[in-house]
Amino acid sequence: MDGEYIQDVSDDDGVEVASRSGNNGAAGGAYGARARGRTRAKERWESGIQADSIAFGEGPDGNLAESLEAEEQARKRARLRQDNKPVQRGIIRHVVLILDLSEAMLEKDMRPNRYIVTINHAQAYVREFFEQNPISQMCVMAMHDGLCIRLSDLSGNPADHIAAIQGIRYPKSARQAAREPKGSPSLQNALEMARAALYHAPSHSTREVIIVLGALLSNDPGDIHKTIKSCVNDRLRVAIIGMGARLRICQEICAKTNAGDDSVYGVCQDEKNLRELLMATTTPPVIRQTAPALPSSEPTPNAASLLMMGFPSRVTESTPSLCACHNNLTRGGYMCSRCQVKVCSLPRACPSCGMTLILSTHLARSYHHLFPLQSWVEVSWKRARELGSTECQACMTHFPPVPEPQEPDAMQEGTDKSTGTDTANGAPKPVKQRPRAEGASESSRYECRSCHCHFCIDCDVYCHTVLHNCPGCLSNPNTAPTDAETNPEVVAEMAAGLENGVNGGEPMDME
Amino acid sequence: MNAIDGTDRHVRDSDNSPPPSLLTVILDTNPHAWALLSDTLPLSKAVANLLVFINAHLSFNHANQVAVIASHIQRAQWLYPTPHPPRSSSSPEENGTSTPTPPSATKYHRFAIIERELQDNLSRVISQTTAADLTSSTTTQIAGALSIALSHISRATQLSSPNDSSGISLDSTGPTLSNPTDTPTDPADGTPRARRSPLTSRILIVSVSGDLAAQYIPVMNSIFAAQRQRVPLDVLKLAGDTVFLQQAADATGGVYIAPSSPSARAGLLQYLMMGFLPDARARAALVMPGGGEVDFRAACFCHRRVVDVGFVCSVCLSIFCEPLEEGECLTCGTRLSLGAAVAAKPVVVPRPKKKKKRKVGDITGTSTPMSAGTPGP
Repeated sequence: MDGEYIQDVSDDDGVEVASRSGNNGAAGGAYGARARGRTRAKERWESGIQADSIAFGEGPDGNLAESLEAEEQARKRARLRQDNKPVQRGIIRHVVLILDLSEAMLEKDMRPNRYIVTINHAQAYVREFFEQNPISQMCVMAMHDGLCIRLSDLSGNPADHIAAIQGIRYPKSARQAAREPKGSPSLQNALEMARAALYHAPSHSTREVIIVLGALLSNDPGDIHKTIKSCVNDRLRVAIIGMGARLRICQEICAKTNAGDDSVYGVCQDEKNLRELLMATTTPPVIRQTAPALPSSEPTPNAASLLMMGFPSRVTESTPSLCACHNNLTRGGYMCSRCQVKVCSLPRACPSCGMTLILSTHLARSYHHLFPLQSWVEVSWKRARELGSTECQACMTHFPPVPEPQEPDAMQEGTDKSTGTDTANGAPKPVKQRPRAEGASESSRYECRSCHCHFCIDCDVYCHTVLHNCPGCLSNPNTAPTDAETNPEVVAEMAAGLENGVNGGEPMDME
Repeated sequence: MNAIDGTDRHVRDSDNSPPPSLLTVILDTNPHAWALLSDTLPLSKAVANLLVFINAHLSFNHANQVAVIASHIQRAQWLYPTPHPPRSSSSPEENGTSTPTPPSATKYHRFAIIERELQDNLSRVISQTTAADLTSSTTTQIAGALSIALSHISRATQLSSPNDSSGISLDSTGPTLSNPTDTPTDPADGTPRARRSPLTSRILIVSVSGDLAAQYIPVMNSIFAAQRQRVPLDVLKLAGDTVFLQQAADATGGVYIAPSSPSARAGLLQYLMMGFLPDARARAALVMPGGGEVDFRAACFCHRRVVDVGFVCSVCLSIFCEPLEEGECLTCGTRLSLGAAVAAKPVVVPRPKKKKKRKVGDITGTSTPMSAGTPGP
């Protein structure tokens, strides 16, 4: 796939002009490779606002609704089919988010235009980022008219960043004008700014740069390759989300700063895709083994360290007092465990002594990155018939009924890969080979591999993105036995009491 | 699922009625704990009181829904609505087939259904508990029950939300993912929800057992999920002692009440009615009980000491009460450098030569250093 991209794009690469035609040509290539299953009658931006709802193909058997549903399920699951192996991740992150505010952002391939869409999504992104990474820090910058501007300083307070992003369009002071997209972006300036901002990030944290780039060019004052090299030396990891087409230079930046892995460079096809790509970066990055070639004199990068942190208790006061963080009068807050200074909200660094103050729940919030919920697998009709599941284990949504078994099952091995059952060995002849969207289950069931419970698509998405628990595993008797006393009488007593008490009590009659 | 009696019909034309509310009750049915409570508050009485409470909740609004989950030892089980166990032969049955008793003439039909199903399921849960189950564990599966409850709420919210098909979308700025495939027909009864006002949900945990330490991570995950969905977790702590549930109530904006004395427990119904009946909208206008001090201090992983200032491994986030002797994390085994934690503070020597003012504030422009001007760390 990447080969195609490079070939397609490399023609445009030299033409560093974000002209409409160049844009289209390159975008066509990207689309063709990305959305290979789809028929492309119209370009996405030529259709209406609801373009996404018509981007489906009719199933080979003419069943429109079913193919739609499968598409939908596949789309929902797209983000889930990754991380299920516990790997070491950089939980403590330092991230610079760089938004493109160049002319190219005035393109209207997203409605109303890229600029507004990006600003909206960036705000949602900041919120989500701090949900997922409560002990991380962020800084927002913008590429505007050849320069890189710092919008907010490195901090762990999402409100600051959201205010800064909103300030792009609606500046707080009347003297400033709204920053409309202008000029061309400079990746080199952006990287140098980010490198400087992250210079002080401690060695146990990650240094990440996330760039949303709308333009198909970079107007640099010097040699960007030198900048890339120094970024690599400084352990920066750059992720780029492009629009319209892939750029060779972006690919190079991502590959070089991510140890050869350029999968962090994505090009969004539409608004939904932009959001997905952005949200994908909220997951902490994996920690790679350090290259052995590094000079051993300096401390190893990614050195784990023991951090001193304070776990302050909340206080409520009868008289208001000034908080150290905003100089506001407040009636309560958290007292720094070391210097007894009062701060309003956690997590933050103590303004007085600099110690990190957090709640233990903030640490717990990151645990799911370390112990991820394993992916659930698609369930074939055969497997569904075997277990006879009729409804979702968690939310009790009814599944579509299992069809009557046909001679050899009309299922394909593709969707059946890991349910643990043996598919019919005798080479089942495909009676009606229906190409399903990848990732969608033909029976609309998804099975947890450890508890063998079946769940619906919504619970699958919900449990993997929000809850991070498997309702089936946690509610089944599979825990290791612990010591306790045997008293079966308790049960008998309870049962007896229930029969007598509830029926005799007549608590129901409300009238 | 509760449209079985057709009361939904009347709701549709009244637009100014309060939005429906879903109450999910998690009843801790840990036999060990209830055995201890049996003198003052037997389970049967608690269930009777709970049913009155549920009926009161349902009486508020036609569209109000209720769900009850038993958090038993070793498993969590639906009490209401009744789940359909997996069957090998696919012969769909009706919802409440067990024993179709003729409906009582003096009882609101819906109350009767809930009462019957809840009692049937609860006695089934109890009768299925074997002696081996009791010996193997003394804790309750609160994490499983919470996970089920939250999944159910997520689904119910999704079904009732006006246009957003993904109930887990975080805010309104996201693209509306509504599309024609998702016309939310309630699969239970097949009726399209014509008028869909947002559903407010809450979870009430009636907890009797303590010691949830084994389920720390799943419980915490559930709490964060609830926080994100803005589902308050109300906790009625009849016995036992857990900080988690108090933190859960605090983090999600729920009510935490712990009637500890036996006489207080006898007034269970009053606690339920006064403390937990108002839904999230009504609570905005009321002064809710609780709001005491919450202990947020952490327990260290090495000695279980409660600490103010701890040392945290940057890899696995384990908390220790003192710098480790060998410099090796006890949980993940990573070699940890102590530099940042202990040594760094005194070593802030101002070095005037290095204090070159970098102009980071506003605009660097084209004057950014071309070469690797910034030295590596």
